[in-house]
Amino acid sequence: MRGGGWRQVAAVVALLTSQAAQAEPIPTLPPYSGAYQPQGVDERGLWMLVDENERSFRDSTVVINDAPLKAYIQQIMCRMVGAARCQTVRLYIVRDTSFNASMAPNGMMIVHTGLLLRARDEGELAAVLGHEFAHFELRHTLLGFQQGRKAGDIAAWAGVAGAAAWTYGGRNAYDTVRMARSVQNAAIGSTYAHTRNQERQADLLSMAYLRASAYDPHCFPDVWDRLLDKADATAHGRRQRSKRYDRAGFSDNHPTELERTTTLRRLAMAMNKPGEDGKARYDMALAGWRAQWIDDEIKRNDFEGTDYILRQIAGPDWTPDLLFARAELYRTRGHPHDLAAAVGFYRDVVARDPTHAEAYRGLGLAQLRSHDAAGAEALRTYLTMKPAAEDAAMISMLIQ
Amino acid sequence: MLLRYLAFAVSFALLMMGAQGAWAQEKSGTKPGFVLPRGSAKILLIRPTISVGAQSTGGMFEPNADWTAQARDNIAAALALAQTRLGNQVIVAEEPVGPAAQAMADYRALFSVVADSVMRYQFFPGNRLPSKKRKGVFDWTMGPGGAEIARETGADYALFLSNQDQYGSTGRKILQVFAAFAYVSVKSGEHTGMAGLIDLKTGDLVWLNADMAMGGDVRTPQGAKKRVAQLLEDFPGSTPPATPAAE
Repeated sequence: MRGGGWRQVAAVVALLTSQAAQAEPIPTLPPYSGAYQPQGVDERGLWMLVDENERSFRDSTVVINDAPLKAYIQQIMCRMVGAARCQTVRLYIVRDTSFNASMAPNGMMIVHTGLLLRARDEGELAAVLGHEFAHFELRHTLLGFQQGRKAGDIAAWAGVAGAAAWTYGGRNAYDTVRMARSVQNAAIGSTYAHTRNQERQADLLSMAYLRASAYDPHCFPDVWDRLLDKADATAHGRRQRSKRYDRAGFSDNHPTELERTTTLRRLAMAMNKPGEDGKARYDMALAGWRAQWIDDEIKRNDFEGTDYILRQIAGPDWTPDLLFARAELYRTRGHPHDLAAAVGFYRDVVARDPTHAEAYRGLGLAQLRSHDAAGAEALRTYLTMKPAAEDAAMISMLIQ
Repeated sequence: MLLRYLAFAVSFALLMMGAQGAWAQEKSGTKPGFVLPRGSAKILLIRPTISVGAQSTGGMFEPNADWTAQARDNIAAALALAQTRLGNQVIVAEEPVGPAAQAMADYRALFSVVADSVMRYQFFPGNRLPSKKRKGVFDWTMGPGGAEIARETGADYALFLSNQDQYGSTGRKILQVFAAFAYVSVKSGEHTGMAGLIDLKTGDLVWLNADMAMGGDVRTPQGAKKRVAQLLEDFPGSTPPATPAAE
């Protein structure tokens, strides 16, 4: 009977939430006034903290200070949110393999190279950057801070009430303590629920930017689809369970990717707006950077996840560079069968690009490790092509 | 039984709210044999890390821009006064540009890691590294490259300061009183500070003082004097104690 009651409650809740989900409209773009200054004690305090942080962060060695790259990403930002809004953004590209970006309340935007590597085109990157900008425009850090403080206050008072009930006893002490625990749980849970809602709002506002921009709104759900696929690949490689269909837990600060992609796909279809994805421009602008970022990605020790990313970037035609990256990935894991596969990839690379010295190096190393004496020949080729290589001394020791 | 467990859990959660930093006692260390020659040293003050704010009822830090700005001014003034009295010259590091900026950011980050390691692996006796156990040993360095941050200033030493002040809000104080009735201890306010001196010729850390419970209200000039006096307690070469009769 009890279970039946719960089921009814769950059905009502499901109905309510599904109606809420149906009803969410894409907001109209709010008017934007540039050069915003923080208001009130809380906001000024938060700005003070991040301003101080940015002072040293701008000089950090993890920040990639490449003018053309920065200008290009800034350009995407402007195409996405419009010229007035994008002027607020101070962009910092950070060498970090994780798929992430963030924007602080004072206008400092951090974009990880992992996001740049894994976004397929300008539209996908723009959608994520727009989401971060929406957090900024809606002042989510401030509101989250205030909500968290309120919840903390309630939890503290509930704690005192519970402790007092325990100290002074009485007939209802047990109930009071139990209630105090429930209040604390509800207060703590509410902060996570609040951040999940902020994420949904930011997704919606990003859709509003997309509607006003030249980009195809389908790019946004596409990002999450591939994020889910990549997570599945990683889980499979690590013999873990897929979390694709998991619901958001108590302490999750984002809605599930599945929820996001479902909602966004529906909104994009309803919007029915054609747009560009800017893939050609994106590929061209990032061509010089991908090798470094892929190299960083390979070091994550996430074989199947990285392989998924490489396959996504390559599409149907593997360029010698991508093929080389794949060979390096296999050689890095280094099971005997990986080495055999890597040798095949390296051979393909040198067949299509005989000037690729590093491919000869990898080929030689993989062959030597498989007790194939032909490896020495490949390493010799590498040394003739690149006599001043950093590892020349080490390699020549291997072939003596 | 269950009641007991719940009550314990509640009071434990409460205790945890207020009781950070109790393990790190006030401590300072000086490199053996180091004395700051009185009246000759030129000390470069690196931009201090200062944040001042309130502590909410639930124990959250609420940064306050005005208080922080006041503290920044007051501490700088009090520091200049204290050092001039010792005959040393304090120059404030200018905002670097170009590669110098990166070096400065690197060494500020490195200093915070070194200072943190000293506190964690030497000042806390239960957790000392084997190489830090011998009495009187104080052997930490940022490496000789540290001189880069003081290029063309002529400084002999670099002084790093950091301060965090959380003043208990009214709500926090009321909570403290009510909690006391329930025999639960709630801490209101938190005041931590750290000061370290680097010898720019060698990059060695010659003196470090870390205090997890500091006095003096940094929002006022008088309080800042007291704070600086505490921060510079046992400052090498500052005998007798550099306390300029604060308050």
